[in-house]
Amino acid sequence: MPDRQAVETLILDSVKMLAEDFDLETLKQPTPELALYGEDGALDSMALVNLIADIEDALSERYALSIALADEKAMSAKNSPYRNVQSLTDAVMERLPA
Amino acid sequence: MRTIVITGTRKGIGRSLAEHYLSEGWQVAGCSRSASDLEHAHYQHFALDVSDEAAVVNMARQLKKKYTRVDALVNNAGIASMNHALLTPVSTVNRIFQTNVVGTFLFCREMAKLMRRSGSARIVNFTTVAHPLNLEGEAIYAASKAAIESLTRILARELSGLNITVNAVGPTPIETDLIRGVPAAKMQALLERQAIPRMGTVDDVVNAVDFFLREESDFITGQVIYLGGVS
Repeated sequence: MPDRQAVETLILDSVKMLAEDFDLETLKQPTPELALYGEDGALDSMALVNLIADIEDALSERYALSIALADEKAMSAKNSPYRNVQSLTDAVMERLPA
Repeated sequence: MRTIVITGTRKGIGRSLAEHYLSEGWQVAGCSRSASDLEHAHYQHFALDVSDEAAVVNMARQLKKKYTRVDALVNNAGIASMNHALLTPVSTVNRIFQTNVVGTFLFCREMAKLMRRSGSARIVNFTTVAHPLNLEGEAIYAASKAAIESLTRILARELSGLNITVNAVGPTPIETDLIRGVPAAKMQALLERQAIPRMGTVDDVVNAVDFFLREESDFITGQVIYLGGVS
């Protein structure tokens, strides 16, 4: 099971890969606090869908984990889990099997 | 080499589609509930139920490892059941919706993820003339295909940003297992409702799928082509 640091690294790698694909200059050197989606975020909805799919894919490939990040809980959360790498890391950690 | 995924390849139209695209030089990944006797250097078969989420996800992972990406998907797998609505058990309704709707959705979802880096990918779903013709005795089958048409039109919009087109082919009756047992008089009455009143052939279907898969068809999405002049 990955620890928080490993999950954060995995997400940062996914953001970098996406930034290359979509040519998003501001996301090529991401930090955990950098805004991704929503206010000041560089991702549009299609890029966000791609990022979530990439993260789910990477979790499955590296750790054989099947995690859905766009579930009802995420959709109805007061604070969107897609704000930045930190909030995405929280969302993955919350969904890891006990 | 381009990679195409075709569901329901053990027999019938799916088998013919697999053989056709193998002959056209594609790498073909097929599936059906049971094993296939189709042997070809560029064919890989997966024995799975198309509505089994874990199995479909696993197939996508294997395809990603082997081919990196998928260029086309043909959602051919489907089941039918002819019966009067008053005599149709819910177990039949569930079975038809699971295979036809859930199966088509799962393959669209998982293969579209593998198409994201294709640059120009194609999804072709299967509907039926039973839907526009409102055929009696086919309420559930036609309803499941109506769902697939709606799925096709909406996915066409959701996936356009990924350069994936999504269209559907609606064949007329063809000599396959799906229509075995339909009385001759009923079949004749059905054919007479088509603009061109003859049974369809597998080649008719392959031709329509070919059209959607063509490189030049990248401006055609969200469309349904019914064969035989049905509208």
